[in-house]
Amino acid sequence: MSVEHPDQRTVEQLLGREPESSQPAPHDPGDGSLIDDPALEAPLVLGGRSLHEVTEIVCGYAERPAPKWWLPALLVSASVAGLGTMMILYLIITGVGVWGLNNQVNWAWDITNFVFWIGIGHAGTLISAILCLFKQKWRTAVNRSAEAMTIFAVTCAGIYPAIHVGRIWFIWMVFPIPNANAIWPNFRSPLLWDVFAVSTYATVSTLFWYMGMLPDFATLRDRADRRLRRAMASGGARSLPDTLRAYIYGVFALGWRFSNRHWHRYEVAYLILAGISTPLVLSVHSIVSFDFATSVVPGWHTTIFPPYFVAGAIFGGFAMVLLLLIPARELLPNFKDLLTLRHIENMAKILLVTGMMVGFAYAMEFFVAWYGANEFEFYVFMFNRAVPDWLHESGAPYWWAYWTMIFCNVVSPQVFWFRRCRQDVRIVWGVALLVTIGMWFERFVIIVTSLHRGWLPAQWHMFYPTIVDILTFVGTFGIFMTLFLLFLKFLPIFPMAEIKAVMPQADPHPDPEEAPAMAGARGDDPEAAGGAAPAPAPAHPEEGR
Amino acid sequence: MALADYLPIPTSKLPAPLRGPSTKFVLEDGTPVHGMLAQYSKTPDLVHAVEAVRDAGYKVWDSFSPFPIHGMEESMGFARTKLPYIIGVAGLSAAAMGYLLQWWISNDYQMVVQGKPYTAWEPFVPITFEIGILITAFTTLLGMFAFNGLPRHHHPLYQSERFLSSSDDKFFVYIEATDERFDPEATRKLLEKTHPDHIELIGQRD
Amino acid sequence: MTQLSATQYKRRLKRIAEHPAMSAENITADRASMDKAAAIMIGIGALLLALTAAGAVIVNGRHALASYAVGVYAVTAISLGAMFWVMVFELVRSGWSAGVRRQFENVMMNIPLCVVLIAPILIFELAAGGVLFHWMMGDADEYLVNKKSAYLNPAFLAVRFLLYGGIWILLAMKLWGYSMAQDQTGDRYLVNKARFTSSWGMLLFALSVAFFAFDFLMSPDYRFFSTMWGVYYFAGGTFSSIAVVAIICCLAKFFGRMTGAITAEHTHDMGKLMFGFTVFWGYIAFSQYFLIWYSNIPEEVAWYTHRKENGWEVLAWLLVFGHFLIPFIILLQRPVKRSLVGLAIVGVWLLVMTTIDKTWIVRPMVYIRDFAQNDPGPAGWWLDVVAAAGVFAVWGGFLVRRIARVPLIPVRDPRLLKALKHKNYV
Repeated sequence: MSVEHPDQRTVEQLLGREPESSQPAPHDPGDGSLIDDPALEAPLVLGGRSLHEVTEIVCGYAERPAPKWWLPALLVSASVAGLGTMMILYLIITGVGVWGLNNQVNWAWDITNFVFWIGIGHAGTLISAILCLFKQKWRTAVNRSAEAMTIFAVTCAGIYPAIHVGRIWFIWMVFPIPNANAIWPNFRSPLLWDVFAVSTYATVSTLFWYMGMLPDFATLRDRADRRLRRAMASGGARSLPDTLRAYIYGVFALGWRFSNRHWHRYEVAYLILAGISTPLVLSVHSIVSFDFATSVVPGWHTTIFPPYFVAGAIFGGFAMVLLLLIPARELLPNFKDLLTLRHIENMAKILLVTGMMVGFAYAMEFFVAWYGANEFEFYVFMFNRAVPDWLHESGAPYWWAYWTMIFCNVVSPQVFWFRRCRQDVRIVWGVALLVTIGMWFERFVIIVTSLHRGWLPAQWHMFYPTIVDILTFVGTFGIFMTLFLLFLKFLPIFPMAEIKAVMPQADPHPDPEEAPAMAGARGDDPEAAGGAAPAPAPAHPEEGR
Repeated sequence: MALADYLPIPTSKLPAPLRGPSTKFVLEDGTPVHGMLAQYSKTPDLVHAVEAVRDAGYKVWDSFSPFPIHGMEESMGFARTKLPYIIGVAGLSAAAMGYLLQWWISNDYQMVVQGKPYTAWEPFVPITFEIGILITAFTTLLGMFAFNGLPRHHHPLYQSERFLSSSDDKFFVYIEATDERFDPEATRKLLEKTHPDHIELIGQRD
Repeated sequence: MTQLSATQYKRRLKRIAEHPAMSAENITADRASMDKAAAIMIGIGALLLALTAAGAVIVNGRHALASYAVGVYAVTAISLGAMFWVMVFELVRSGWSAGVRRQFENVMMNIPLCVVLIAPILIFELAAGGVLFHWMMGDADEYLVNKKSAYLNPAFLAVRFLLYGGIWILLAMKLWGYSMAQDQTGDRYLVNKARFTSSWGMLLFALSVAFFAFDFLMSPDYRFFSTMWGVYYFAGGTFSSIAVVAIICCLAKFFGRMTGAITAEHTHDMGKLMFGFTVFWGYIAFSQYFLIWYSNIPEEVAWYTHRKENGWEVLAWLLVFGHFLIPFIILLQRPVKRSLVGLAIVGVWLLVMTTIDKTWIVRPMVYIRDFAQNDPGPAGWWLDVVAAAGVFAVWGGFLVRRIARVPLIPVRDPRLLKALKHKNYV
């Protein structure tokens, strides 16, 4: 077949022509993961670690004595959690009147905190599921801790609607359980959808988390088993912690033995679980948004709520992941080899993107509030939220909440347009903190500013939180941190099997010509990678422990 | 495959029929041979080895690696799992049942809310979806376990201390003695050709 | 190592060029016959559009313009969807898509044509004082129109249209320019420039697409409003642009091109995206309808009630099943996603469905004021088919012309080797 083509020459010259290069000014490669050459792939594990070293590093967190700061931190968190639990008990004993709710503002901090926590609970499944579907390999460094955060955050979130019902002993009535009064729940109520959505989400996230941890439990089991065998062979005593590990991790590992026939089904199942978790994440926060958007309350009824809530949840969730992992990266040994600057930079970019998405939604809401020509709707946006009371007589005293939200969620992530800011962990941490604050205020603004002014001026009431409101909220942070600290100490905090699978050593058909393309890679034998790599740091240095 | 491996009791305490099939080969101490284990330390080596075993026509064998290796179903020559179809059927029927539950209850216990039809389909969508997802997730996880023959209390492979490294950084091929082509000499020769680090026989012990 | 040395990179390009899939026959189209096909398509399209113009005189001018607009809005959504994918592939440094990206770029480069095709709609509306745009007409509710007049006025509408067109053409030209330059020079750092363009481009893209959808698809019924509308219109373009690329790849395979360059693995990934974004469309469409249905606020819900009566409910149910449930079940099957032919067949179906979606949105506007006036009923329905087919034929003709003029894959993309070796996990 003869082909006449104007670009024929391009194709033919491919072999001979010298490629041009408009190489940008060189920049700091950071820890070695900030490679800017599109022809190269950034390494996902630094320090030229071998497979065994990855096992040592990750298992070390669970097997070695906890760092010095761990126990005090746990005690503080657990005390705060205890305080929160006491507040909850006080509420149950006394009644919801101990909160600052009033006739007009009948949803306030309770639902704000519920949406706040459930939002944070979305990043884990996003990282695990959506990034897994999109084959974003960098997710392996953060997905385990993010999934853990999901479950802990959903635990915190689940508390609020349960105690908010007032008579918590009737909570079983939300489930369609046949009963003597022949009363059934109302399936047309968004609050009932919440029950199903949140409980499904908590269950599926736990299954997903557990399924990911299964091989890592088996690794921990095998290591404890080996130590026990060695101790017995040398005539020593079986150490109690290792015996406990072998049994407990062993029970959770369910006999997993790393068979490739099993891996095949495991991977198919994992992908399916990721596939169904993705619409699940979207549905859960969409259904939470339906709580508001199906109503006719001005400021609540707007059709962009479902995707806007989802974007906000991802935004807030990633902020929380960064908020916790950046300190962990500094405090735990060798964490930086597995969670590189590139990971931080990628998450900063996601903050920028999702921050813009919520900004887009704020803009659309405001525009359509005006365009829709509904006076009440526009009044809520203009006067209940945006215009300060010292500027206009109709202005609301909640203007500062609205502008805090705008500043934290839309303005502050804009610093991530600059490479320097994305790559400086202190700045990223600061923005993540602002975003976490901003996302709490977003929910507060939606709920309280819409509610505090009813259709008639006689229905106007301010909301003031009581000490119980505040301490319950603080208490949920205690619960969250307690669970997270326990996770850091006792569970595999990185998915070892998945990290190993994205390391260059995992390639079944390595391409010797492309060896340099795997920057920073070091094979298990030094000569394969040229032997030029510096000797790696010990997997677990004793100092600082 | 012995039933005993699934139960937390020693094989020797079970009646003989439950101990699983025994083979004609025995170890030096008289224990029946369960299979032959070869160890490798690099991914490409394992892939070459499993291709060799596959081409030699073995059926009852397996390979082990600390992480999933992509393309292993072709290298080992086994068919893609049918799990997704089971999951699909379970999920769709669960969603249908969820819809039916709501439709039936809303018809049975009629409440006037916002003047909307009692059985309008729109409000039933969220819960239908959630129930579908919930059952799909359980089917996925439990189906994966069931197809894999897990949970399992014990496996003869764990007699080998070397095999514990399968969860760390070593790769293994294991040919079971119940395979009709299994022969201690011939199988060892085949495995030796694949340059393993180590080969050992595994006995059928507790 | 922070970058590949010039020698190593040259070696990489050499290896790409030596790949068996990169032979000249395999990655270039037969230009002469492609041009002939393009000419035939454009000719047929012009004929059909002429028939539409005739229909405007014989049957009903509003009906003809609405049918034409349906086709134009559909192809615009597809072209914009392709631009979205090009930007996303650049932003996430996607490796697997390096090969198929060129086809998305080809579809994207039909955006200038779309802008040209939209212009007549605007001109007719402005010249006739409202054909479908109810707010331009004298009998619109004065209170609402006055309140919205700061936004809904002809001059501002024209300015906005130029702005949207300008943004889209600018972005498309820039992205296309980088890709073309890379084909010529092999400069790998153009990838980084394209990524930067995509980052700020995505922001402009989101705003311009949303407001375009407001102006041309939502505001004709000036009473209706939905904050989700921009996302809804955008969602319609995401999967349909993949559908078009799947069809292109399938035809290329049929003519013996791109063998080994587009494998079942790439098809699988495109299928997954097509599946995912069909579901995304379903999610957005349902959420929007559902919230409006549930709240039952008159000015919003009237838009849907109008489209759930007088026969439009048939289209609504067709969308529920044909646009969501049936593709959902079909695309759930792994073998379909891995087969280019299967994906192309589903793609054709989805293109029909996305056009029906636009029909359901736009066509009822014809009856917004006077249901029976000049309407021959089913006797005039041929116009819908002819006009939309005409637009698609012209659009497709220009697409074919462009495909023939450039290599079928970006021959010097540094990630191409990875794309050629791409393999899915399970």
